[in-house]
Amino acid sequence: MDDTSQGSVQRRKVTEVACVTSLRRVVIACAASLLLYAAVTALVLDHPLSNGFLRNQLDARLDRGAATAGPKLVILAGSNGPYSHRCATIAPTLGRPCINAGVAVGIGLDYLFMRWKPLLHPGDTVYLPMEEAQYPRARAETALGPDASIMLRHDRITLAALPPDRWAGAVFSTDLRGAMLGAIEMALVAGAFHDPRAAATGETNAWGDHIGHTPGLSESSVAVLAATRPHHPTAAQIRDGYGTTLIIGFIGWARGHGVRVVGGLPTGFIDSPAPDDAIAAIRAVYVAHGADFLELPNRSRYPRLAFFDTPEHLNEAWQIIHSVAVADGLVEILRDGVPRRGLAMAPTPAATR
Amino acid sequence: MLFHSQAFILGFLPLALAGFFLLGRLGGRAWALAWLLAASLFFYGWWNPRLVPLLAGSIAANYWLGQRILRHAQSGHATPARRWLIAGITCNLALLGWFKYADFLLHIAAPNAPLLSIFLPLAISFFTFQQIMFLVDSARQQRADTDVLTYATFVAFFPHLIAGPIVRPRYIIPQLLAPDIAVLRAATLTDGLLIFLLGLAKKLVLADTFGGFSDTGFAAPAPTFVEAWYAVLAYSLQIYFDFSGYSDMAIGLARMMNVRFPLNFASPYQARNIAEFWRRWHITLGVFLRDYVYIPLGGSRSGETRRAVNLLATMLLCGLWHGAAWRFVLWGGLHGTFLVLHTRSRVALPRPIAQALTLIAVVVAWVPFRADGLDAALAMLRGMAGLSGIALPKMIVQALPLLGEFATPVPLLPYLGDARTLSFPEVSACLVLGWFIVLALPHVHELSERTRGWALTAGFAFSVQALFFAPHVAPFLYFRF
Repeated sequence: MDDTSQGSVQRRKVTEVACVTSLRRVVIACAASLLLYAAVTALVLDHPLSNGFLRNQLDARLDRGAATAGPKLVILAGSNGPYSHRCATIAPTLGRPCINAGVAVGIGLDYLFMRWKPLLHPGDTVYLPMEEAQYPRARAETALGPDASIMLRHDRITLAALPPDRWAGAVFSTDLRGAMLGAIEMALVAGAFHDPRAAATGETNAWGDHIGHTPGLSESSVAVLAATRPHHPTAAQIRDGYGTTLIIGFIGWARGHGVRVVGGLPTGFIDSPAPDDAIAAIRAVYVAHGADFLELPNRSRYPRLAFFDTPEHLNEAWQIIHSVAVADGLVEILRDGVPRRGLAMAPTPAATR
Repeated sequence: MLFHSQAFILGFLPLALAGFFLLGRLGGRAWALAWLLAASLFFYGWWNPRLVPLLAGSIAANYWLGQRILRHAQSGHATPARRWLIAGITCNLALLGWFKYADFLLHIAAPNAPLLSIFLPLAISFFTFQQIMFLVDSARQQRADTDVLTYATFVAFFPHLIAGPIVRPRYIIPQLLAPDIAVLRAATLTDGLLIFLLGLAKKLVLADTFGGFSDTGFAAPAPTFVEAWYAVLAYSLQIYFDFSGYSDMAIGLARMMNVRFPLNFASPYQARNIAEFWRRWHITLGVFLRDYVYIPLGGSRSGETRRAVNLLATMLLCGLWHGAAWRFVLWGGLHGTFLVLHTRSRVALPRPIAQALTLIAVVVAWVPFRADGLDAALAMLRGMAGLSGIALPKMIVQALPLLGEFATPVPLLPYLGDARTLSFPEVSACLVLGWFIVLALPHVHELSERTRGWALTAGFAFSVQALFFAPHVAPFLYFRF
């Protein structure tokens, strides 16, 4: 081999080495990015105000559930649970302890059920006035809810018990906005920031009920409520939804463990009701799988003035009215042990006016 | 098919690359180009297969015209070459006009007439301009003779087919004619991959984040001062990251296949005057407009008044090219006016002031561009001027009581982010990050390989998050144009 060809071979080798190095650098950068992201989201980044609030709410209710002896009523839903239902009103009527265990519509039902199952015992009753959006919620969306980063950061035991898509969702639940918000929340908490939400929306009592959300506090939401056009999922979306699948699975588990499940309707605007077939689909989720279903004569619909800030949140006065009706309905259902629909007391005409 | 979709990244791209290099190795350049053309037509047909014949027909007709014009020009027959050129440009513009501007013109001529509601074929603005360049370059003899396969591959080449860059035939066709075009080179493949991934991060991580903020702000019927400015600042970042991200992806994809595209964005918001902005923003469109509209109109050769008219006409056309609506014409008119003012200005401002003024002019001009109509643009401008009130979250006013002197404290701003208690600091922090990137950092193509590696480390995981876990994929803004 002459000098020229030797030089050419050498140059080619140098180029190949440079290419491999360059490619390796890209791969290393990608891998480092993933590792760094996973480490930061799992070990460092937190959302002490937004997710922390939800986690505290969830844990407080679970603690109460664990401390409650004897047959109890547990209300599981989204935030409509604590805002529109009042265990403090329902429990005396029902004659059994009650825990208002809904937290937020974004919390995955699989996570919620997983946390509550160990605390449910034969004789307990679970009332599920799920928000309409909880039925059709997609599996991918469920995997990215606030509970994903809560589990990744604070509850890896529950996360490990969930399917692998939930692990991936938990690891990759933080986008740029989430990361920025997390850093801001951590800085605010470190700076002893006073969370203004309690003063703006009310607070939570020992039963888990949201209280103090008076019409006076909701004045700034009146215009928003007047303009709100609720979205109602279709009957097909409810039937085929991933949330529905999770609820049916929970009903099956409850039947096997002597826990009684009663479905219900969420609250909503009287002037924008869910279609009849959608309500029938919700009813079927429960009745067709051996659970009871409580359907108030007014189908939990109220005038817009009864609401606090969203169609799922009654204000405090109407929360009590609705809870009286729910309590009466549950008494009817639980008294004779057979599902009876439409028997509950309707709110008085004066109240619904 | 979107560059930032799973179907493209996990399916189309690996197959297109593998076929290109494999056929290049086994059958040579022609087979590789044939594969590339087929892949590009498949890519185009993914949205609507019925439009593939339109693209193919346009390519065939323009090739035939271009060859005819070139032959006449080479034989010294200038008059027939010019006639064919005029016929070719007219046909291309007629096609574009029919699909893109028929309803707009009809509405001007007969406001009460029912709209034709013609479906706008994807990328027609881009492939029409691309082919007009080919015809003009043929008449000017500024391109090499080429076969139909190379020409068709040049026009349909999927990295630039949908939203540019608008590349000159004489720049790309010689690259496609190179015998070793389909030889796998690890260096260019890696380089292209890196640029593509950085563009992907710009789009998925940055553009879509700011897009969420601007969508909320522009939905406000009467945004207050902070909501309006935040929406416009967010949109300015969205459109930059979206389009420059797309351009980087296109440049990266082409680079993987041994084709070099020209730079399309060079830190435009760092420009010190509006003329410099147009030398940095959508550079290939600017070059096209300069070489094929402004200079043929007379450019600056016939006095200041004529120059001003030429600038205004060019920029009005630029606005109209972006969309058949008055708000785009207004945007183009504003930029034309800025350019005229700039050419007449004799004041030398200090760099920071010049840059700030340029930036404010560009940002304000985005308002009609983004707003849903002229009324919405006016509402946004009123908000930016403080005429719809100045409101700030109560928690901010409590923390900084001085702000209470001129701002009304409110529980939350309904058109800022997700209208949550912490939306104000959240959006503020994101905007600071975004503007820091565009104002203080060099653009992707100026970065060293090592720095690009760091940038990839910062953004890749977020890209994966957005690509596989985000609830929806937002299309590129320039797909509409």
